[in-house]
Amino acid sequence: MSPGQGVIASLLTCLIGAVLCGLTASRRRLTGWLALAVTALSSGLALYAAGKALALGSIEPEMFLKVESLGFALTLHIDGLSAFFILLIASIALPAVFYSIDYMETYPEYGVGRYYPVLLVFVAALYGLVSTTDMMWFFFIFWQMMTIPGFLLIRFEHRRAENRRAALKFLVMMEIACLATMIGAEMLAGAPADGGTGLKYDFASVSSRLPGLLEQRPVWVAVAFGLFLTGFGIKLGMWPFGRVWLPDAHPAAPSPMSAMLSGVMLKTGVYGIMRYFLWLVPLERRAAYPAWEWGAVMTVLGTITLLTGTAGALKQEQTKRLLAFHSIGQLGYILFGVGMAMMLLGMDDPRLEPLAVTAFAGALLHTLHHATFKSLLFLNAGSVLWSAGTQDLNRLGGLARWMPWTAVAALIASFSISGVPGLNGFISKWALYVAGVEGWPAASWLPVCTAIAILTSALTLASFLKFFGAAFLGRSSAWVGQRGRERGRLEVTWRMQTAQWVLAVICVVAGLLPAVTFGLVQLALKAGHDGLGAVFGTMSPATPAFLAGVRTVGHGVVIAVLVVLGIGAGMAVAWLLSRLGGAPRRRVAPWLCGYVTHEDAMRVTAHGLYGHLKSGLSPRGWARMMRPPAPRPRDRRADAPAAGAGSKEFGS
Amino acid sequence: MGGELKTIAGTAAACVAQVLWVLLLAPLVEGLVRKLTARIQSRQGPPIWQGWFDLLKLLGKEDLEAAEVPWLPRAAAFLSLGTLLFMACVLPLGAAPPLGEQTDAILLVHLVTLAGLGALMAGFGAGGTYSLIGSSREVMVMVLLEPLLAVAVVAGAVHRNSLAVAEAARGGVFAAEGFPWSGLVLLVVILLAFPAFVQRVPFDVAEAETEIMEGWLMECSGPTLALFKYTAMLKLVLYSALFVNLFLPWGEGVGGVGAWLWFWVKTGAVIALVATVAAAHARYRTDQAVRWFGMMLAAALGALWLAGLGY
Repeated sequence: MSPGQGVIASLLTCLIGAVLCGLTASRRRLTGWLALAVTALSSGLALYAAGKALALGSIEPEMFLKVESLGFALTLHIDGLSAFFILLIASIALPAVFYSIDYMETYPEYGVGRYYPVLLVFVAALYGLVSTTDMMWFFFIFWQMMTIPGFLLIRFEHRRAENRRAALKFLVMMEIACLATMIGAEMLAGAPADGGTGLKYDFASVSSRLPGLLEQRPVWVAVAFGLFLTGFGIKLGMWPFGRVWLPDAHPAAPSPMSAMLSGVMLKTGVYGIMRYFLWLVPLERRAAYPAWEWGAVMTVLGTITLLTGTAGALKQEQTKRLLAFHSIGQLGYILFGVGMAMMLLGMDDPRLEPLAVTAFAGALLHTLHHATFKSLLFLNAGSVLWSAGTQDLNRLGGLARWMPWTAVAALIASFSISGVPGLNGFISKWALYVAGVEGWPAASWLPVCTAIAILTSALTLASFLKFFGAAFLGRSSAWVGQRGRERGRLEVTWRMQTAQWVLAVICVVAGLLPAVTFGLVQLALKAGHDGLGAVFGTMSPATPAFLAGVRTVGHGVVIAVLVVLGIGAGMAVAWLLSRLGGAPRRRVAPWLCGYVTHEDAMRVTAHGLYGHLKSGLSPRGWARMMRPPAPRPRDRRADAPAAGAGSKEFGS
Repeated sequence: MGGELKTIAGTAAACVAQVLWVLLLAPLVEGLVRKLTARIQSRQGPPIWQGWFDLLKLLGKEDLEAAEVPWLPRAAAFLSLGTLLFMACVLPLGAAPPLGEQTDAILLVHLVTLAGLGALMAGFGAGGTYSLIGSSREVMVMVLLEPLLAVAVVAGAVHRNSLAVAEAARGGVFAAEGFPWSGLVLLVVILLAFPAFVQRVPFDVAEAETEIMEGWLMECSGPTLALFKYTAMLKLVLYSALFVNLFLPWGEGVGGVGAWLWFWVKTGAVIALVATVAAAHARYRTDQAVRWFGMMLAAALGALWLAGLGY
């Protein structure tokens, strides 16, 4: 079976499975297990196809269902980049469906016939979208197969008006994105100049026409590429489009679907940008293509996206809404990486090309890593919703005592997204920082963007301390305590745990062994088809080093195992020190300055955290903070007592 | 293979020596700082060994644990101290660091964050009202401080074209092609924000003993408190050493013991400066501190742009 046939088989498995699940929908659990079996089979086939494509290296496009007069054919080309995204879809879909089996029990009033079949069609569309080379017909078909199920799943709880509204917004934005991308494709398509597959809208045909167009009508091409950036930008939540639909759509869907939306669906936008902007231009004609300019646009938009998305997240007090804003932020990092890679390529300087590979590898790895930790976080948020019955961080608190396993998984995910060394988020961000710092010859402002990315990473940490701290740490809120007493046990079932822990283990392993993930990226880039992006295949992003670490140009080194061992040794020393005196331990209540009992009203809720930071991050709040303080009335009185005297005096 | 083992053993021995040295030094420095502060405020002050006495006493005292999940604040204390001990192997302390080859400047910035993260986990974990207020303030300060340090390191890396700690974080900020404007701006900026890195007055808003009773530290006692106190002492020493590395790399050309001594003299001077400022100032309000750091951050980003332009 060739990779193309493998993907077709996987796609058909999903579609047939969707029909079967539709037939058994009246029996909820059976349908869940059936959907799991179908997903496992299709994921297996997809992984086989991706693995084979990576192992074979370069393979030829495969054509099915050809209608030449319309320029219509299902051409699949599973090259390295497609294989990478197929791998990502397959490895997230499986835990998400496994998690669904128990999770869907929380919706007794909604039938699963509107969940599993739709989800399977959605997954099939994702496989198709990242492997077809048809820029018009099949792009449209797969895009709709993704959008309409997405719409249906977001409005799954259709009795709530806000969910219907969110779904409608999603639908409208996705159709605009579809239209923009297709107009762009139409602008570039035409009679194939040479070779190609003879199909008007095939990727290879458009690519062969592009150099001529670039010379004759550069503005026309620029408009087309602008439409691509808009279309895929809407999909991945780029500023200014992300805010319009993304934070509403993610929380509305059932949690496993939120995990798929954020972890996988947004990545099709990333795939589109990578594919169109880097592989559409033939390598030998790269001089005519303004790679630096497009890269600069993307870098700046990426920086704005990551900062505004994360700043928006800091104000959120609903778990899934907070995570949705972080999806915008993290996708900003990916866009930032792709933009940097293009800027560095556009410099046409062989010394900068290794850095371009590092940037692109960072973007690809962040795509994969974001899929794991963000899906995990959405599953965690789902678990919290499942057991505590609320998304409101202000009502949550102290869940670590009630659901310790979920808490540890959520801690791993939260640390991972915040870039704590030893977990996978650090690795991909590290690669992006290396490229951004060392890539300063591409633009003097590139290090500034990198510093903003580092600042945003700190903001991410702050936001996840709020998420994790407010939900899991601290003292049990009255709400959680009552839920716990009513239900006796709040921890989720073993099936939900397994789904969470599979993803958590991936976060840890990918964080500890960057040489493996970098190797995977290298393999994918080597197997890429022709185009500007083929440059990446000619060199490795980093050299594997001692203890499975990696090194890049400019003395960037990450040896995660060593870091973890080193910090672990330090922690062991700390533990030894703490046991030296043989001090006993005793559980007590927090000290409350003499108040006898801890009341729920005394809790510092999520709303109460980071006040000055939140106001400083909004333009109006910033202006207010920067205004010199108005003189207080009593300061103007000549006979006022000296400042500091009276009741304000605490002594020091 | 034998040679490789020897190298690994040598590196490990150097790490242990470095760690032991800072572990021994830090409480003594604390004692000296307290003596200096007392003298500035016309007091007698405790003996210079008081840092040691405090730690030993706390290590033997009962650990009163307020958290519902008590292992979390405990582990957080280990994490803070452990990270700083690892940092002692990464940072040049008067000689080439034992793990200089295996780490880079980006990791260094993240280690600073990780050390702060331990404190926050303890504060959030305890869940007391005051510890949460303190943690919230600590986060606000940290979010704005860590990028300041990152900017200084990044500027050094841009000038030196290298991310190695010994290049980027050793006077790299001044290695511009033209006049080192960026380095000078960053020196001023970091100097003006430095007390916050080591949690001293006027920027100790997260502890603020007189206001929120040590904030995130409030629920820590016994050995856990001892570890956090130890962490604070090590922070003062290591971050001052980091400051010397970043901005005061001069005069170590002699090499050997002379350079090592001179490095610690410079670090001592930075610590004395921090102590003097702390003794002579009142604490900022949180909004004032946040505004101050925001302005410093804006200036630092401007300086970084200059660095990209070659200044």
